[in-house]
Amino acid sequence: MSSIPDAETLLAVDVGSINTRANLFDIVDGRYRLVASARAASTAGPPLYDIREGVRQAFDQVHAITGRRMIDEAESLILPSAGYGSGVDVFVATTSAGPNVRTALAGLMPSVSLASARRLAASASLQVVCEISLSDRRRREEQIDQILAARPDLVLIVGGTDGGAASALMQVVDVVGLAMGLIPEPVRPRVVYAGNRHLGASVVDRLGDRAHVTLAPNVRPDLEEEDAAPTRHRLAETLADIRSAKIVGLQELRQWSGGHLLPTPDAFGRIIRYLSRIHDPDKGILGVDLGASRTTIAAAFEGELYLSVASDLGLGAPLPSLLEHCALSKITRWLPIEVRESRLRDYMYNKSLRPGTVPALLEELHIEYALARQLIRSALFDARVGWPAGKDSKSSLLMPPLEPVIAGGGVLARAPRPGYATLALLDALQPTGITTLILDPHSLTPSVGAAAGPLPMAAVHVLESGGLVRLATVVSPVGRGRIGQTVLQYRLEREAGKSEEGEVRYGQLMCLPLSSTEKGRLILRPEHGYDVGFGGPGKAGALREVTGGAVGLVIDARGRPLELPKDEASRRELNQKWLWDLSAVE
Amino acid sequence: MTDLLPITHVLPLAAIRRERRLAMPGVILARVNQKVQAQDVIGEADHSLRHILIDLARGLGVREKEVDRYLIREKGDRLEQGDIIAGPVGFARRTVRAPRDGRVASILDGQLLFEALGEPYRLRAGLPGTVVATDETRSVTIETSGALVQAVWGNGRQDFGVMRVVCRDAADRLQTDELVLSLRGAVIVACICDHPAALHQAREMAVRGLVLSSMASDLIPLAQRMPYPIVLIEGFGEIPLSSPAFRLLSSNNGREAAVDARPWRPYEDQRPEVIIPLPTARMADLPDEFVQLEPRVQVRVLRAPYQGAMGVIQDVMAQGMTYPSGVLARSAKVDLEGFGLVTVPIANLEALR
Repeated sequence: MSSIPDAETLLAVDVGSINTRANLFDIVDGRYRLVASARAASTAGPPLYDIREGVRQAFDQVHAITGRRMIDEAESLILPSAGYGSGVDVFVATTSAGPNVRTALAGLMPSVSLASARRLAASASLQVVCEISLSDRRRREEQIDQILAARPDLVLIVGGTDGGAASALMQVVDVVGLAMGLIPEPVRPRVVYAGNRHLGASVVDRLGDRAHVTLAPNVRPDLEEEDAAPTRHRLAETLADIRSAKIVGLQELRQWSGGHLLPTPDAFGRIIRYLSRIHDPDKGILGVDLGASRTTIAAAFEGELYLSVASDLGLGAPLPSLLEHCALSKITRWLPIEVRESRLRDYMYNKSLRPGTVPALLEELHIEYALARQLIRSALFDARVGWPAGKDSKSSLLMPPLEPVIAGGGVLARAPRPGYATLALLDALQPTGITTLILDPHSLTPSVGAAAGPLPMAAVHVLESGGLVRLATVVSPVGRGRIGQTVLQYRLEREAGKSEEGEVRYGQLMCLPLSSTEKGRLILRPEHGYDVGFGGPGKAGALREVTGGAVGLVIDARGRPLELPKDEASRRELNQKWLWDLSAVE
Repeated sequence: MTDLLPITHVLPLAAIRRERRLAMPGVILARVNQKVQAQDVIGEADHSLRHILIDLARGLGVREKEVDRYLIREKGDRLEQGDIIAGPVGFARRTVRAPRDGRVASILDGQLLFEALGEPYRLRAGLPGTVVATDETRSVTIETSGALVQAVWGNGRQDFGVMRVVCRDAADRLQTDELVLSLRGAVIVACICDHPAALHQAREMAVRGLVLSSMASDLIPLAQRMPYPIVLIEGFGEIPLSSPAFRLLSSNNGREAAVDARPWRPYEDQRPEVIIPLPTARMADLPDEFVQLEPRVQVRVLRAPYQGAMGVIQDVMAQGMTYPSGVLARSAKVDLEGFGLVTVPIANLEALR
């Protein structure tokens, strides 16, 4: 692949439920660089219900920053660029705005094909509103009634291995067909068939004029193998159709992007998968995007992506759903101040009503970051169910080795200090061994993920160009001990400056100053029983070229899994101390 | 167009148009220009959602491909219980009969899907007014003039009744002893509710609705079980009623009000509200749907430290401001009642019209 870009300017737009972002990339010294980043309020919801106004405002901001005019008199994107100072050569778009797509799942076995369908649905922001299966004990007419009552936008049919038996699956297809025939055409759901591929033609034939059927690759071609990626790609096109019919302006974005309007989580996942192919194959890559309407967890191991989108976990409208995942005490445990549970619950419900509001008081910021930690933990817990056994940690309490971790989303992006975002990520993810934490404050990751199709090199250049903020390199020894017991000894030899050495004790969160442009050599000598990722507990080693970040080089010796004091006052004190340790508060 | 502010309507008099919609196509009984009352049925739909799958071949004792010869009904036919659908066949004169009153929904491959009729769903007007549009199968648009107070949360129910304001102050807590017998069957306006006893008491009094400024969020499951509509004007916790809403509701004490407690679904343009129909000689204006962020706009603050306070925008600041939380946000200078000139994140403002 040539490293010389074949187009010059790239404009990427991401339309969310709260914000619309536009990022303009141009070639500087032969490489793509971020030259302008703009953010406007999303206009997907009331009062406009038309995303175009938010997009236009974001374009206007880009124009104000760069002087480059994006739209012509007819309010159309100037594409390709019309000489110096106007238009762009490539336009890509992603979206996570709009209501969830209500989905009925139909399959054979709940624990096999339907389980795959559920995971596929989770990775594609689908809201599963009903399920029918062959082992369903209800009568067929009851299954039909359930589909009718659920009012789905989409029916996803799965089941059967490629070349496997046909009759069982066709029974399920018949139930779907009968239900489709009863739904008036204007509101009839789309059908995606992702089962036994040999039956595709029969399914289309059987559903006939009663449904618009899209054929997708079998999500489970054989019993042992689940292959959701090609299915998800095909499904994304149908979802774009459904969303375009519901959200005014999406169709225009699709046209400008040449039909490649990607769901934001898919574009985010693309980059995580790409990074996994070029990074240490012994470690996974983790991406976390905590949005107002969903939380995306994208993990990749040896180039395989495991994408999970929790539509019921977000720091906006779905926030009260967090209480279905955990008790309030799981949230209050992260607070450095006293907040009554009733106050916290009220806060969650009010925030769900006004998802675009921001915390002006420190108390509310603490609450939002406590919620952020628990949302990520809950989403991560669900996502890890789908991670491959050989790659995930054997203990569900410990994370597998990850390098790097990329995190984005409004609450993390507007952290008043980098230490806030760093501590939230350390508490929520509890990484093990040596990890780099990277923050994506401008939502560049989905943009470059969408650009990876038309301009693969742009993605590489942008990721290397400093548009992402390196928060910290983190060393997290795995092992249990007593508070105050020595965990490891370290020596940091800075390339241009003085060296320092010392020891870290159990319970300590130590931050050594080291910027993202500084390099050094880090020697770590863990005590017996503590593993920092050099081949086992007690094994010493050196990182020949370590860099820090906005926070520095962090050694997190608080134990894995992190155990917080049971006494509330002590716990709050400790949470406050850790914020000081990472210079998150003055 | 510059930035738009989210809007909450608290209007003493406006033309109000509301669409009422059947969940599925049916029959619209109201006609354009017809005057309707809140309890009037304006549409009906067969809404039983109960189907019965009948294997005609087995029922008749014939092969699947022979079924068509004996079928005497077709898709869409309405039947009474016991009506013959197919047959007779053979010496024994076997027949398949309608299992209940209903309709033939579909016939395919020897199988008949029968839609059993239950009680039809009846769509009520919900507010008095004049029908201004209908598609004759599914939706009716009713227009009325009156006061409008939009809310932020509702328990999913709707009703109509005489409105009685029981709070003296915008921050009063609703007490059970305030719910006296004379309020039976009324729409009650109170302020803060933090105890389940008041909700139970209101049910026993068969109230037609409960309009609150705020409610403790742990009462949500109970509120959702109540048979009467409950709306929250401000939110959860202990938030007093805003002064315009308090004034408007108090000044209309004793009038009839429609309480629509449908959940707030921004993408479906659905919001809980209280409508107080008012006779008017002049044509009222439709509410503004767009309010631009600019000086002289009346706003309300949505979050601490000035949550619920009202004011007027004096200036939209060119530079972002850093708040005590450390958050940097686009901001406006607002002259707030009781606080003077303060700086507020634009994201925390809504227009009040």
